Amino acid sequence: MVQPTGESAVGREDRTPVGTVHVFDPNPLNWLFVTWNTMEEPVRTDERGRIVGACMEDSHWEGSTLVVKVREGIRFQDSETLDAHSLRRAFDEVQKWKAPHPPGTYLNFHPDTTVEVPDDYTIRFNFPEPDGLALAKFRGFHVPSTRFWEEEGFGYRKLGSGEGHW
Amino acid sequence: MIDAPGPWGSGPFILAEGYSTLDNEIALVEAEPFTCTWLNRDQPRSDRLILEANTDYWNKERGPRLERVIYVNDISPAEALDKVCDTEGEVDIVSEVPPASAERVESSEYAHLVAVDALRVVSGLINRNVSFMGEVRVRRALNLAVDRDRLINEVFAGYAHPVAALAPPYSGGMTDDREPYPHDPEQARRLLTEAGWPEDRALRLAITSDVDAVGRRMAEDFRDSLGIAVELIEIPDEELLAAQHALVEKNLPLPFDVLAHAWFDLAAGYPPGVIHREYFHSGGAFRAGPTIPEFEDLLARSLVETDANKLGELGKQIDRLVYDEALSVFLCCPQALYAVNNHVKFNGYATTLELAETEVDEGHWSRRNG
Repeated sequence: MVQPTGESAVGREDRTPVGTVHVFDPNPLNWLFVTWNTMEEPVRTDERGRIVGACMEDSHWEGSTLVVKVREGIRFQDSETLDAHSLRRAFDEVQKWKAPHPPGTYLNFHPDTTVEVPDDYTIRFNFPEPDGLALAKFRGFHVPSTRFWEEEGFGYRKLGSGEGHW
Repeated sequence: MIDAPGPWGSGPFILAEGYSTLDNEIALVEAEPFTCTWLNRDQPRSDRLILEANTDYWNKERGPRLERVIYVNDISPAEALDKVCDTEGEVDIVSEVPPASAERVESSEYAHLVAVDALRVVSGLINRNVSFMGEVRVRRALNLAVDRDRLINEVFAGYAHPVAALAPPYSGGMTDDREPYPHDPEQARRLLTEAGWPEDRALRLAITSDVDAVGRRMAEDFRDSLGIAVELIEIPDEELLAAQHALVEKNLPLPFDVLAHAWFDLAAGYPPGVIHREYFHSGGAFRAGPTIPEFEDLLARSLVETDANKLGELGKQIDRLVYDEALSVFLCCPQALYAVNNHVKFNGYATTLELAETEVDEGHWSRRNG
């Protein structure tokens, strides 16, 4: 794993999307790829698979606390602002479940983890002990809008449960 | 996973229509600490799933560059390949192209082949619980028996990389002081004899449909190189779920010595997090054998290591350990193959299929037609 790299919140290019493509993707992870094309997580992977920042701009460890700086200037597709409170809501939701991630419980944060939001763009993850895989786990830590949690949720509306449906 | 369309995220595309989900069931690895994975029963998808560009996406440098992406889910892989190779305007990108079809794509008038160094690995999972398979000389013999070059050329049409152990060479986590086991039938036979392998003991090799050709190639190598009988156990698709439960939950003795198996990673840098851990850790879904104290120690140290460089070094130590102990039959890392319309500039990813940077030129059917 590598540390996330910074990416400019204001891109160098500004082009209008054009064209339509038809895709046939039999990969059994297509459900995840669709999620990754539409939602963001604190990190994503680049073309070579290396972890880079997405809605997380930067992070550092203070003992067993991971301090995350949330990127400013991001809006959800319904125009809600994405900030540290969005990450806290996502954390509170995922921690409700014993086994939310289809790949398995290895992606879980420790159940005794707590978070603090000292300002709108900083969130502190207080782990009981340092978590060497925290940034990798962030790849499965989807950050949706408030409306998503209230109307849909990961499995909430369809199954009444988030277990195995993140 | 997302069950219904909506403006839910902040990503480069909006899920405008359709769904792609999973119907899965839990498989318990152990109760304390609670450890489980989920097994797929089905992958329900709408016939069409439509993504539309999020023009407010913050990372303009990345994209999105396409106005719309339409996933076509109601045709077979063979039909999809026909459409991308022989037509325009029906299918532009096909993933998971079988290596045997690569040449057809390359010779197509309408499409070209894109090969991506994916974080994928194919190996022979060794059941160390059964007699002789816990013996390192036997496991090394199996590794020396395999002709990896032939496997890569014949089964993967050259679209795979040899690998020393389980970490893909481009993952940043491969041990850098080990070479793939050579194909050395003589030494392999000698090691097997030294380990006391009985002449009438057949090797039981299990295969599933996704790695059928890999398993058959391995079986031939074991027969030819080791001079032993190989009993091929074919697990039919309709029995796959039960077989997966048996492997993960470890309730009954497994009916094989070696299982041809394919797996993947979700990020580069520390392959043991997803690959080695699943195969060998006490909480690993695919562990088939006793725990290994040195492995447990290295993984425990990794789990609390927050320095990326030190974590990477621990990963390499783990890869070296599994190589030295020959804990699997190490085979190769297949590339992900895509058939792509000639007017599409496709940006392949090692771990995912993301389309933010993919674009089409002015000659593309969707732009020619206004």
